[in-house]
Formats: sequence, structure tokens, C-alpha cells
Amino acid sequence: STMPAYKLTYFNGRLRAEVARQLLYLAGVPFEDVRVRRPDWPALKSKMPFGEMPVLEVDGKPLPQSFAINRYLAKEFGFTGKSPFEAAWVDAIADQFKDYNIETRRLFLVLLGMIQGDKEQLLKDVGIPARDKFFGILEKIAKENGSNGHFVGQSLTWADLLIADHVKTVNILLPGFLDGFPTVLDTVKKIESTPKLKEWIEKSPYSKF
Amino acid sequence: MPTYKLSYFEGQGLGEVSRQLLHLSETPFEDDRISQEDWPKRKDSMPFAKLPVLFVDGKPLPQSLAIARYLANQFGFAGKTPFESAWVDALGDQFKDYFSEMVPYFMALGGDNEEEKSRLQLEVAEPAINKFFSILEKRAKDNGSNGHFVGDSLTWIDIHISDHMGVGEKYFPNAYAAFPTVLALREGTVSLPKLKEWIEKRPVTPY
Repeated sequence: STMPAYKLTYFNGRLRAEVARQLLYLAGVPFEDVRVRRPDWPALKSKMPFGEMPVLEVDGKPLPQSFAINRYLAKEFGFTGKSPFEAAWVDAIADQFKDYNIETRRLFLVLLGMIQGDKEQLLKDVGIPARDKFFGILEKIAKENGSNGHFVGQSLTWADLLIADHVKTVNILLPGFLDGFPTVLDTVKKIESTPKLKEWIEKSPYSKF
Repeated sequence: MPTYKLSYFEGQGLGEVSRQLLHLSETPFEDDRISQEDWPKRKDSMPFAKLPVLFVDGKPLPQSLAIARYLANQFGFAGKTPFESAWVDALGDQFKDYFSEMVPYFMALGGDNEEEKSRLQLEVAEPAINKFFSILEKRAKDNGSNGHFVGDSLTWIDIHISDHMGVGEKYFPNAYAAFPTVLALREGTVSLPKLKEWIEKRPVTPY
């Protein structure tokens, strides 16, 4: 059967679309990588199924919500683990990451200069506790999984890509912030050295987030 | 058949969809309901120190949506194609976004400051409900007003949304009056014989 046509639409940043881009690239599948400029967004908003991005179009049919997109592509291309239970653990880690994102949202918006706020106070009250909780879990998971360069199972999953991309952002915005989680950092290094992924990362435009 | 245990608080909340999936599929399971008093003692045995957790032959799986999706895939409630499953997931994630917006309101409902409850209903709950349920209403209509949000058979998102609406109405009567297609979808879902049976016999809880 012929390959569907894929189009991914998002802002010009990594944040919620990078994992999908990486999955398509890792699978060797051509796709239209649409990056919307901020001034052009308001006119497009009402055209998106949930008024947000990213949106994946598969033969022109839209699919919203970054994790639904990631999981759909990961399933198509073999990045959801080797069993239904492994796939469910990939989902669970991703959702825990989402919870941590919700908790740390204000901190990261301040660090990116998008809103005003007291960086030190947010770090102390929100950032550090959320980091310790989430990355403490990831450190334990990575060790229990055999420190094998993956958070779940023995092969690359979209949870690996999700965490690695976020760690890249943290290393840019808060150098040293994750030094207390050496197995996580080592896992991310191993993930990023996957040949095709390394290739993608090297040729992608630099983005703080 | 593996052994299943679902650990959650004494309430519907984020665990009920999974209880209903297990019941609908006639799969025996241990319905482990943890009281607020017992929770501190049980917390450390949960992978992410939160509930719900599903135990499959004793192996834990945390996070409510991961659990619901896993069970739905096992029992045939995740849509008929990968793209349909992805749309069920997208609605589940949009529900999660809506739910996190509603948290300040839910917290107030747990207290007894009536003024705060009214204020948050107006400033937080109404806009969040309007935004999310408008999406659901359009989705239900675009899907053919056939009693399902995705495809033409019951999926876990039909079950999850229907259950949430029952809880919401206890505190905010007529919260969903502006969304008739969604209301009809809910009626159809909760009147399915096996769900009706479960709803009639389950413990009555505040949420």
C-alpha cells in the first residue's frame, strides 16, 4: 500500500512537536514540516480541530493533541515498546511528564521571558520540588530498566524522545539543574546518540525550547 | 486471564472509567477502594505516589489515561482503526487539559466557602466547560450524532465523559444544558444494560 501524506503544523519551536518530527524522520518518512509564525497564528486558530497546535494531517485528515499524534506515529513506526504493557508504561511516563509540565509551567514561561515573575521564588517553591518528584521517579525507572539507555524496555520509544527533548531545554535554560539525576542524563545521552536522531538534531535549527 | 486489581480512592473521579471497562468486559477484578485515612500508608507502594494504579498479575501501571487505554485496547473499546484510536486519545487529552483548568473549582467544592464556590463556578468552571463541551458537541455532531464521539461503537472516551458529567451535575446542575448532542450521548451510554447495572450497584460517593 502507498505511504500516506503527512503534514505536521506547529510553531517554529521544539516543545510539543519535536517528538512527532523525530518519529517521522527516524522512520524515514517524508513529511511537510509546517512552522507557523506567531503573527500568522490568530487567522489559523479556528481552522484547528481544538483551536491549538500541533496538528497532524494524514492524507488531509486532521488529528490534534501532541500525545495522540506522538502515539499514533509511534505505533505506525514501531516506537511504542514491545508489548501492550510496555506501551502503557510509555503512556504513563508521558502523562507523568505532562503533570510535571503543568506544575512548572510558570517557571518555564518566566525563564523564556514570556511572562514576568520571580525566577528564584518559582525555582524554590515550584521548580525544585517538581523536579525532585518527577526526575526522582525517572532516575529510579531508568535504573530499574537496567540503565540500558531507555526508560521502558529495550528499544527506543516515544517516551525516550519526549524526555530527551525536554532535558535539552532544561540544560539550555537551567544548566546543572539535573546534575542530581545521573542515570537520567546518561540515558538521554544514549538516546541522542541514536544515529538517525543524532543526524536530525544536528541539522535542525537551534531552538531554546 | 490475568488477575486485575484497580486501586483508587473511594469515588468515581479518574478511576471509574477503568472500573466500567472491566465490568463491561465481564472481567473479574479487585476493586481496591482506598480511604483518605489509609492513603498515607499505601502511597509509597504506588509507582508515582498517586492513584489510580492498575495491577496486572501484580505488576503496577500508573496514570489514569494509560490504564484506561490499556484496558480499552485489551477489551475492544479503543476504536476500530489506529486513526480512530488516536482521536479517542486526543479527546482524552483534551479532557485532561479541561480537568486541570477546573482544579481550583474542584478544590473549592471540597471546602465550605460558598462565596468562593460561586465565584470559581463563574470565573473558572463556566469558561472551561464552555470551551471543552463546545468541542465535544461539535465532535458528536460531526461524528453523525450516533451516540459516540468516535466511530460507531462504544469507546473509553464515551464512558469517561459520561461518567464525569454525572459527577459535575451533582455540584453544578444543568452544567451541560447547552450541549444537547453530548447529553443524548451520555444518556445512551449510561443506559447500556451492563453500565446501568454497574451504576445502580456501585457505592454512592461525593465525586
